[in-house]
Amino acid sequence: MERRDTTRILRGLLGPAAPEVGCDTCFDELDRFVELELAGEDADAAIPGLRAHLSGCPACREEHESLLALAADERR
Amino acid sequence: MSTVTLRGVEAGASEAAVTARQLQDEESRAWLRDLRADGAVRDDALARLHELLVRAARFEVARRRVTLPHLRGDELDDIALEAADDALMSVLRRLDDFRGLSRFSTWAYKFALLEAAVKLRKRAWQGREIPLEPEAWNLFASARLAPDTEAELAELLGAVERGIAEALTPHQRRVLVALAVDGVPIDVLADRLGSTRGALYKTLHDARRKLRAQLAERGTELEEWLEES
Repeated sequence: MERRDTTRILRGLLGPAAPEVGCDTCFDELDRFVELELAGEDADAAIPGLRAHLSGCPACREEHESLLALAADERR
Repeated sequence: MSTVTLRGVEAGASEAAVTARQLQDEESRAWLRDLRADGAVRDDALARLHELLVRAARFEVARRRVTLPHLRGDELDDIALEAADDALMSVLRRLDDFRGLSRFSTWAYKFALLEAAVKLRKRAWQGREIPLEPEAWNLFASARLAPDTEAELAELLGAVERGIAEALTPHQRRVLVALAVDGVPIDVLADRLGSTRGALYKTLHDARRKLRAQLAERGTELEEWLEES
């Protein structure tokens, strides 16, 4: 097993060390979070715990990536 | 018409930013007004909203189509349309939850992205077996450690396996291993267990906390191994 694989599995098993919000709060706040990111504002300070959740929840992370890409696409 | 809480304009914000937000708020207000209207105005707003949701759902399908190589283009588009239909119902049901803290379109998009993503994950795992018996797992056995793997790492992996076996309940173990080791998508697992994403993530979160606590109690150093090499 490669070191990279070990790290990936360990991260999945142990999750983020920082406090995080749950999936429901993540969904509720995701649009605001993405717009703050696109505006270059401090999304992490505005919505604490959401970034940590994205690092621990692959499904929410994928949806964040999609919303960020779609909203950015719309602004071009 | 219900009152919409709009984002305040901070002192010192640039004129351009203020104008952009005012426009954004006006656009959002227009969406809410039209969706709460009657007759042709509402019908037109619903059609525009559906179009917006279809665009988002197709965007998600296009991003994920590589995970579903066996599906034809029209099957993928059916999934996108179904996701947009379901998202439309969710948006209308939750219209009062929109607080005006983002563009209305961004808020609506997330419902279509979620519906499409969940449907595609479930489709990708359709018919695949999910090992759910706690006895059936063996974390690192299937992936043999490279010959040059540090003894320290082998020790850590052993400690993690012991932690999972000793500190967690069978349900926590089942959820943690399925999600974190077997890579089962959380929506797929929720479906198989008759649960929800939120409830399963809470179980996962509690399992991770207990595992971290046990490893810390036994003096296991983790952070070095969690960093990207």
